Amino acid sequence: MSRTVSIDPITRIEGHLAIHIEIDSNRVINAFSSGEMFRGFEVILKGRDPLDAQQITQRICGVCSVSHGSASILAQDAAYGATPPKNGRLIRNLILGANYIQSHILHFYHLASLDFVDITAITKYTGRDPLLRDLKRWIKDQMSSNVIYSAAPFLPRYSAKYIQNTELNVLAIKHYLDALDMRSLAHKMGAVFGGKLPHAATLVPGGVTEKVTADKIAAYKSMISKLQTFIDKSYLPDVAEVAAAFSKYFRMGKGCGNLLAYGVFPESADNSVKLLPSGVVTGGKLISFDATRITEDVRYSRYSSSSGLHPSQGQTVPEPHKNGAYSWLKAPRYNETVMEVGPLARIMVAYLKGENQAIKDLVNGLLAKLRRKPEDLLSVLGRHAARAIECKVVADRCAEWVEELIPGEPTFHDFNIPETGEGVGLTEAPRGALGHWLKIDNYKIGRYQCVAPTTWNCSPRDDNGNRGAVEQALTGTPIADSKNPIEATRVVRSFDPCIACAVH
Amino acid sequence: MTDITRRKFLELSVKLAAVMGLGTSAIPQVAEALEQLSAGTAPVLWLQGQSCSGCSVSLLNSEEPGPAQILTGYISLLFHSTLSASTGDVSMGVINRSIDHGGYLLVVEGSIPAGMPEACVVGQEPLTRQVSRAARNAKAVIALGTCASFGGIPAAENNPTGAVSLPNFLKSEGVSTPVIILPGCPAHPDWLVGTLVHVLKFGIPPLDDKGRPKMFFSRLIHDQCPRFADYERENFAKTFSDEGCLFKLGCLGPNTHADCTLRHWNSGTNCCIKAGAPCIGCASEDFAARTLFPFYRKGERNKREEG
Repeated sequence: MSRTVSIDPITRIEGHLAIHIEIDSNRVINAFSSGEMFRGFEVILKGRDPLDAQQITQRICGVCSVSHGSASILAQDAAYGATPPKNGRLIRNLILGANYIQSHILHFYHLASLDFVDITAITKYTGRDPLLRDLKRWIKDQMSSNVIYSAAPFLPRYSAKYIQNTELNVLAIKHYLDALDMRSLAHKMGAVFGGKLPHAATLVPGGVTEKVTADKIAAYKSMISKLQTFIDKSYLPDVAEVAAAFSKYFRMGKGCGNLLAYGVFPESADNSVKLLPSGVVTGGKLISFDATRITEDVRYSRYSSSSGLHPSQGQTVPEPHKNGAYSWLKAPRYNETVMEVGPLARIMVAYLKGENQAIKDLVNGLLAKLRRKPEDLLSVLGRHAARAIECKVVADRCAEWVEELIPGEPTFHDFNIPETGEGVGLTEAPRGALGHWLKIDNYKIGRYQCVAPTTWNCSPRDDNGNRGAVEQALTGTPIADSKNPIEATRVVRSFDPCIACAVH
Repeated sequence: MTDITRRKFLELSVKLAAVMGLGTSAIPQVAEALEQLSAGTAPVLWLQGQSCSGCSVSLLNSEEPGPAQILTGYISLLFHSTLSASTGDVSMGVINRSIDHGGYLLVVEGSIPAGMPEACVVGQEPLTRQVSRAARNAKAVIALGTCASFGGIPAAENNPTGAVSLPNFLKSEGVSTPVIILPGCPAHPDWLVGTLVHVLKFGIPPLDDKGRPKMFFSRLIHDQCPRFADYERENFAKTFSDEGCLFKLGCLGPNTHADCTLRHWNSGTNCCIKAGAPCIGCASEDFAARTLFPFYRKGERNKREEG
């Protein structure tokens, strides 16, 4: 006899996600992923000045704001025939890179790690680190006080098997605290050229509004160097430690096995070369990506609009009471096939392409250290490992890009908005492939459609009944205790879902 | 009590008093407020409506105090969807028991889908009902960010969900708990931390007629603009990245009350206008409200030149 368990809300992600799983004999046999918040950005954008779009779409998500701004200005660059000068392209990469670093650090330490690390282990701490002693006393005081929830928001939690080793737990807790400062530092670094974060002010078609000066170069360099140290000395080793302690998660949460990347971080003026390239992986083979093959199904989504449309023709007509629909997410498919997007997809595409030696070495090095094969990366731990590797690759390249900036050279090339036009902005948010499709009619936005990373990963079933990527990854997952289904939340969080993006 | 000693409280209080624009005479009172906070007397329940989590991310960018200090030394954060260790039924247990217990400060991020309650559901309960329940039992409510304060982008013209601001929603529900609004897209972390400390020690801070703390929102951005001299000299930027006043590119500094140009963002690093970006009025009541009121006036200029 199977039973259905709802995990609602899924916390420590961005936004409003509910997961419903059917469990039989301690194993997930079916899963439903439901995005539970809708605002209607695409409807609100219609009829507006196209220049509003990069500001409005950044507000789709406070975690991936720079990626939406980037997708929007790439779509507008294409529609206006605008090309940023080299300084402009570099600064865009530097702001986006800063936001990747903050997002990846946030995800591993503050969103995902509490599924593995035992925060109560701090009560056994005997060392002299003042921050940890403060934390120890705070937790002890809280646990003996009469506050309604002691040590909130770190308790209560699922009762489950966390890391047993006190020393490892304490180190992870120390790094949780350090990581708070580090992700904040990454945002500060992005604000040097972005004006502010989240929701960067300076992104515009044709480049950026901020200028290059030597003091800004020096500030960015100083901060990226600290972040590189943290990534090398804490983030990558901590992921390896968690992987060693929970090695069975290399065999859990595999999912559909199909990976899709649009590519990100332009290295050339025409966007043809990117630090992380585009590509599609199916059956372990890399093939080239073709944006015309994307469609969005809505049979199980709360929209009355037509199903199976390409985003350039996409529609968004909400129908909250639609029969059979169980999510506000649409179901994007590539060649009618379910795809996983995210750091794992980007790193695997780059690895299989084989042109970036640093990525090859990092992946091979980690696999050797953990005695794993490349196919093991299609898993919960593979996603965490790929994210950490990518964080290093991006940070190391940011440290180089900032050196290429030239003070006094332009950061912006002017443009005119045409009466009619179309543009596509394909980029990658920290959590995966992101596209904006823009159509201009009479100088205004005639149509605007966004397909976000988590739309791919957390989609409901498509018109053919195929489960979405997370739904597939959950299916087969062993659940020791259906009252504390932590295995399922570990699978879901490995995708770093962002529901504000996914539905918008 | 944590290891944070009286001396540390005083150090923090000096910084906080400066953040809030209070004189040195207020420092001992602020220190006392911090001590009360650290004793776990300031439970905070945080709910997200139609939000992007940007105000939560912005709070994590708080420098003095940093987020770890806020969580362990200032407030008892009963529930926060992005930070809580709990999930699923455990989270709903925390939310429901906290509401039954009452006496917390409620922070709401995001607008409220009054016209389509199905557009935001948490634990199978429409957020409309959850927020109404939670606000009734709160000591005070903070509407954090422009969406919660004024409706923001989700409540813009042509929006499909009937989104409204938190104050308007609570009024329609007959909830009379005091509400402080902290607009901004996102809200600056100092605005939230300063307001929390003020509420706990000095009570509700002086508010303007819209419910904003005067200490942060009493003056126009234009009046405190680093490019004000350019405006006076009629030295106007013609396109993005130009030197000069950004007014003719559409800058909404003259319509927007906030202190960004003095306080700056991300630990004092930068701000929109300083970085050459016209103010888009993200802290104003009309932010993004009307389809035909664009952020930038550059498009108009292009059309005039072509015509």
